[in-house]
Amino acid sequence: MSTHTLHFFDRVDTALHDATLRTALDRATTRFVGNRAGAIGALSDADGLRDQARALRAQALSRLDELLERLAARVEARGGHVCWASDGEEAKRYIADLARSRGVRSIVKSKSMASEEIHLNEALERAGVEVVETDLGEYIIQIAGETPSHIIAPAIHKTREQVGALFEKHLGMPPTTEVPPMIRAARQALRQRFLRADMGISGVNFGVADEGAVVIVENEGNARLTTSVPRIHVAIMGIERIVERLEDLAVMLQVLARSATGQKLSVYTSIISGPARPGEADGPEEFHLVLLDNGRSQILGGQYAEALMCIRCGACLNACPVYQSIGGHAYGGVYSGPIGAVLTPLLQPDLPDHHLLPHASSLCGACQEVCPVRIAIPDLLLRLRADAVKAGKFHPIEKTAIQGYATMMNNPAIYRAGGTFARLGARLLRRKGRIRRLPPPLHLWTRGRDFPALPAQTFSEWWEARERQRQSG
Amino acid sequence: MSRDHILANLRTSLASNRPWLEEVSRAAPHAPPPFVHPPAADLVAQFCEELAKLEGRAYPVADAEEALEVIGRLLDERNARHVLAWDLAQIDLPGLAALLAGRGVSLLDAAVQGPGRKERLQTLEPVPVCLSGVDCAIAESGSLVLRHGPGRPRLASLLAPTHIAVVRRSQLVRGLGEALALLRERHGAALFDATSHLTLITGPSRTADIEMTLSLGIHGPPEVHVVLI
Repeated sequence: MSTHTLHFFDRVDTALHDATLRTALDRATTRFVGNRAGAIGALSDADGLRDQARALRAQALSRLDELLERLAARVEARGGHVCWASDGEEAKRYIADLARSRGVRSIVKSKSMASEEIHLNEALERAGVEVVETDLGEYIIQIAGETPSHIIAPAIHKTREQVGALFEKHLGMPPTTEVPPMIRAARQALRQRFLRADMGISGVNFGVADEGAVVIVENEGNARLTTSVPRIHVAIMGIERIVERLEDLAVMLQVLARSATGQKLSVYTSIISGPARPGEADGPEEFHLVLLDNGRSQILGGQYAEALMCIRCGACLNACPVYQSIGGHAYGGVYSGPIGAVLTPLLQPDLPDHHLLPHASSLCGACQEVCPVRIAIPDLLLRLRADAVKAGKFHPIEKTAIQGYATMMNNPAIYRAGGTFARLGARLLRRKGRIRRLPPPLHLWTRGRDFPALPAQTFSEWWEARERQRQSG
Repeated sequence: MSRDHILANLRTSLASNRPWLEEVSRAAPHAPPPFVHPPAADLVAQFCEELAKLEGRAYPVADAEEALEVIGRLLDERNARHVLAWDLAQIDLPGLAALLAGRGVSLLDAAVQGPGRKERLQTLEPVPVCLSGVDCAIAESGSLVLRHGPGRPRLASLLAPTHIAVVRRSQLVRGLGEALALLRERHGAALFDATSHLTLITGPSRTADIEMTLSLGIHGPPEVHVVLI
C-alpha cells in the first residue's frame, strides 16, 4: 500500500493505528538503542571520538569544492568515469544512457539512499532495464511494492509471516514462518541475479579524495557482490559524503557502525578505487562515479549546512520518541526520523506537506544526544518551523490560537478566566483521568494520543493556598 | 557543464559558511586514534574472542604444519574438491600447494574478465570453500584486512559458504587506525595502484532484516575460519 498520496496527518494516523508496526518498531528501536549505548559506552573516549568525527566532517565540508575535484581527478586517473549531476534528472539520464549504450538488461543494486532520493529504479525500469534490490530488507520491500521505513533496517515494519507470504509468491518457496529457510531461498534467488547482472549500482558511505576511492559499508555481502561481479559498477554519492584522507576512516567508520547497529565495524567495508586493474581476475571492467548535488551545494551556504554533516547512521531515528511511535513511512520522504524531518524539506521540496515534518518532534533533544557528529537537530527543526511560518505555511486557526495565547498571557484576568473555562470543559470530557477526544479544532491533537485531564486546582491557586498556609503556620 | 555549475555553487556557499565550518573543524584534533578500546594485554586472545562473538571461528596454531592440519580438516569436513583461492604465493603458507594436491583438491581458475564472463561465474558458483591470506588483522574488532588486486581475487573471500583465511601473528594490529597506518607505511601513496578493492571483513555475512532475527550467510560466507599462526 502506498501511503504517499495521503496527507501527513493521515499517514501518522495510519501508522499509529497499525498494531503490527508498533510492535515491530518497539522491537527494532529498543534493540538498536541498547546496542548503540553498549558499543559507545565501551569506547575509551567516546566523546573525544565523536568530537573528532564532527571536526572531520566540518573540515571536509569547508573544502568541499577542492576535495570533490581531487576525488574526481583521481578516479579518472585510475580509469574510472565521473558524472557531475546537478539534480536527479541528470543522474538518472546518465545511468539510463550508460545502460542503453552498454546493452545492459539486468541491474543489481545495493543500498543507496541517494538513489531512493532521485527515484532511480523507476527511471531505469521505464528505460526497459530490470532492477533488483539485493539488500534483504530492500528486496523485501521492493517485491512488496513499498519504500524503506528505516535508513538501515528498511523492512522493520514487516512481520515474518508477511515476508513468508511474499517469498511464497515471488520465489515460489513453500509456505513458512521460519526465518532460516527464507534466508536460504533469498540467498539462492539473489545469487543468480548477481551472476546474470550486467551492471551493479551501489551507494557510497564516504568518498576518499586523496585516493580516488569510495567506501561502502554493509553487513550482508550484497554490496561486495554488486561491486565485484557485474561487468560495470556505478556508484552514486551525495557530494557531501566525502573525507580527505584514508586515515580519516579510522574515526568515521568507528562511529558509524557503533551508532548504527552497535557493531565495532560493519561486517564488510569495501574501499574501491576505480575499475579492476590489468591482470585482475574479477571486479568490474568499468567504474562510474555519479556525484549527486540535488540541492546540496546550495544548502552548504545556508543556515542548514550542518545537516550535511550527517553520515546516515540512523541513531537519531531509533532514539526519537516520535519515530518510535509512527515509523518511517509517515514522514513521506526518503529520509525519516529527526534528520529526515530536516533533510526532506531541503532535499525533496516537491513533497507537498514537507513543511509539517519539522513539527513531528517534541524537541526533546534525544537525537542530538546520540548523533555521532553532534548535529544540533532540534535547532535546525526550529529554524525550519520559523521558515515555514514566514512562508505563510500555517493553519489560520494556529495563528488565531497563538495570538489568543499571547493576549491571554499578557492579561492575568483573561488567563484566569480561560483556565477556569478549560477546566470546566475538561471535567466534562474526562474519562478515567484522560481525555480521549477534544472538540474541534483541538481534535487534531487527540487523533493519535490522549490528553491528560486537568487537575482540579490551578498552579496559582495551589501557590496562593501554600502561601496562606505558610503565613498562618 | 554541471561540474562547473556545482563547483561555482559550492564556492558561493563556502564564501558565507567557510569560517564557521573551519571553526568547527579546529575544535578537535584530526589525527585518528590507533585504536579505540582499552588496550588488551594479549592481541591473539582479543582477536579470537572478538571473532567468536561474531560467530566466526579462530584457530590459534603454533606453526605452519599445524595450520595445514586445520585447513586439511576443514576441507575434508566440507568434502571440498575445489577451492577458489588467492594465488598460493600470496597466501604464504609453505606446504599449502602439496596439501591441496595430496587431497585431490583443485584450484579453480578465478579469471572471469572478458567475453564469457557470466558463464565462468556460473562455473565458480558451486565452489564450497574460499581460501585467502590477509594484509593484516585487527584485534579489537576481530576484522581481516584484505587488499584485492592481481593474484588476489575479490571473489576468493566472498563466493563460497566457507571462507578460510590464513593470518600470521605478526600481522595482528590493535585497531583500525593502526591497520590503515600500517598499509600506508608499506605502500605509501601507491596503496591503490595495484589494489582496486581494499576490504575489511568483520565476521560472517549477517542480516537482521526479518523481524530483527540474526541470520548468517545471506549473501557472503556464513562461515569464516581464521587460522592464526
